[in-house]
Amino acid sequence: MMEDDDETPPLAIQIEESANSSSAVLKPSEEDSVGVTVITGYLGAGKSTLVNYILNAKHGKKIAVILNEFGEEIGVERAMINEGDGDGGAIVEEWVELANGCVCCTVKHSLVQALEQLIERKDRLDHILLETTGLANPAPLASILWLDDQLESAVKLDSIITVVDARNLRVQLSEHRDSSSFPEAFLQIAFADVIILNKVDLVSNEASGPVASRVIEELEKEIRNINSLAEIIHSVKCEVNLSKILDRKAYDATQLAHLETLLKETASLSTSNIHDSNVRTLCITEHRQVDLDKVRLWLEEILWEKKYNMDVYRCKGVLDVQNSDQLHTIQAVREIYEIVPARRWQEKEERVVKIVFIGRNLDEVILRDSFKTCTLPLL
Amino acid sequence: MQGEGIVQSLSSLSCVRCSKPASLQCPKCMDLKLPREGASFCTQDCFKASWSSHKAVHLKAKLSTMTDQKNLNADTDGWLYCTRKGQGRSGFAPNFDWTGPLRPYPISSMRTVPAHIDKPDWAEDGTPKIEPYSDLQNTVEIKTPEQIKRMRETCRLGREILDAAARVIRPGITTDEIDRVVHEATIAGGGYPSPLNYHFFPKSCCTSVNEVICHGIPDARKLEDGDIVNVDVSVYYKGCHGDLNETFFVGNVDEASQQLVRCTYECLEKAIAIVKPGVRFREVGEVINRHATMSGLSVVKSYCGHGIGDLFHCAPNIPHYARNKAVGVMKAGQTFTIEPMINAGVWRDRLWPDGWTAVTADGKRSAQFEHTLLVTESGVEVLTGRLPSSPKVLPWLDA
Repeated sequence: MMEDDDETPPLAIQIEESANSSSAVLKPSEEDSVGVTVITGYLGAGKSTLVNYILNAKHGKKIAVILNEFGEEIGVERAMINEGDGDGGAIVEEWVELANGCVCCTVKHSLVQALEQLIERKDRLDHILLETTGLANPAPLASILWLDDQLESAVKLDSIITVVDARNLRVQLSEHRDSSSFPEAFLQIAFADVIILNKVDLVSNEASGPVASRVIEELEKEIRNINSLAEIIHSVKCEVNLSKILDRKAYDATQLAHLETLLKETASLSTSNIHDSNVRTLCITEHRQVDLDKVRLWLEEILWEKKYNMDVYRCKGVLDVQNSDQLHTIQAVREIYEIVPARRWQEKEERVVKIVFIGRNLDEVILRDSFKTCTLPLL
Repeated sequence: MQGEGIVQSLSSLSCVRCSKPASLQCPKCMDLKLPREGASFCTQDCFKASWSSHKAVHLKAKLSTMTDQKNLNADTDGWLYCTRKGQGRSGFAPNFDWTGPLRPYPISSMRTVPAHIDKPDWAEDGTPKIEPYSDLQNTVEIKTPEQIKRMRETCRLGREILDAAARVIRPGITTDEIDRVVHEATIAGGGYPSPLNYHFFPKSCCTSVNEVICHGIPDARKLEDGDIVNVDVSVYYKGCHGDLNETFFVGNVDEASQQLVRCTYECLEKAIAIVKPGVRFREVGEVINRHATMSGLSVVKSYCGHGIGDLFHCAPNIPHYARNKAVGVMKAGQTFTIEPMINAGVWRDRLWPDGWTAVTADGKRSAQFEHTLLVTESGVEVLTGRLPSSPKVLPWLDA
């Protein structure tokens, strides 16, 4: 086809003078970074419905959707962008090329580089949605996108959203529960910051009134058994309040909203160790100050050395550190973790240590006992 | 895409046909990323009128990317600009908003390696097959005594090759000639130059001049008095890789550059000094950042140290900047590189249109040193360490 084109000249196009040719030199400020939301969910749960809803809803934001075939051998991904800034305008398609260069001696994965290039190319982009395939395990994506702040990347992991089908969730979870293979359905819920419980209307259609609400309640309980940190949102056809799912800054260590909920939560976040599902949430609380170096060593033994054979997916917490008036936050995705000062403890605030783990084969007694090596005796 | 910023103002472009100021360009040349100089037109009419002769440019560009390089050599003597991350060649100088005074020069044709030399799996077609999917991208291997013995031999060969390159550096020599020295010394030692055709990298070593941070491609440019040049040598020998680099002075170098190079050397020395079992990989970046910052210099963040052994690049990733979240602690028997890149100006890097050459965003100079290291029970062994025979080119060591 290209050869035929040569016979007739195409239209010459305008030479554009690039106004921001040196943009890479300029340091993008915090506000300039574009949030990336990873959307996971089983086939048929409603991921595409959610994406289409977000693309077409009126929100005044310019959003790019990347259909990610992660783990499959292709060099390009399809991106859809709402050129009309979410005001019902046209949706354009673009290809995002993944660099196939040497990735091993570069810090940023080719996916991150591709997203950065997309942002550089578009004059304004407010948010990126990364839709994964139904069988995707979100862990590798989360690890790749959770960048060091030092890189000052234009890309910033915002949150992981998992869409589940209220009607089929139970079947999907029980399908693999007894088999040795580990289902992505559990992982997708375990890694989620937000869980959209979709198609709740279909549950009500099948059962009436109080029965339907009990079914939903049971489902929520089942989800919380796996991940009690995530926010659960009910929806019909994925019509959700966008302010609840965009700009959540779930990986921002200094994000105050998350800290406050974690501090306020009085009920134990730990879930019972349900025999047939090994994935659970576990929370340890301590009222003594901790030695930061010892906490690091303790956490590294769990996450890196797998000393107790626990499989930690996510970890979030607050620390009251010896000789510091700063509340420290702790956060981990698989082996990657960081502990950073977030803000000053307020004067009348009860200082506390609270660490939440989501994972498999978590042992509460071992965690509690081993953590004692990090605490200082009460004065 | 990076690197599509445009430098010339509109007025500097003139119509290919009638030389009037041009405001239109050929869309096909844009697709092919060809320089705008030969593709600008004042009106659609001029463009149409030029089409029959102009379109030959596209064919030539396509041929240069599609034809086998050996065929090409006959036509062009082999000297062409590198494009498409090493997969393409072009007879035209690329268009780019260059960050400093340095420009790419044409590169010579691909050098060959004799059949008897054992080659890594990318030598033939440019694509590593084992490395990207290996388990060793996720877990840091503890080398067996047998592997360590091979690593020592390979790294020693790497050192001798770099020393050979160091001996020929002087004003007037091209980086392509340095590449030839590296290539021939590698083969003479029975090794394969690991960079050659690695993800289509076209040469046998990296030569990074002045504002080039790393991955500079050896080309026809002659080194000038006052330049600094880093030569990065990697060799595949007896089934494993060794990797090292040093930054050299070309003739008389200004005081600031001397300080930059010396500080970079010290950053690597200080990082090596902390290596021993139990130390976190993330500490390396703290040490390097502290020393560079104290000297008023900045640390490149986009490129990092890496595990090495039977694979060229594997776990762990070792960032050189502070406050990184690198995973893991060092253990006896691990082998990896530390290779800080330190800039005189800002830390940010940009990529040239060749897809490999990383340059400083502000065009100021950058230096680098690298060693392959083995963690021992008591500390560290520098596998690529200098030999008594190494040329005395680092004044602070040999003064």
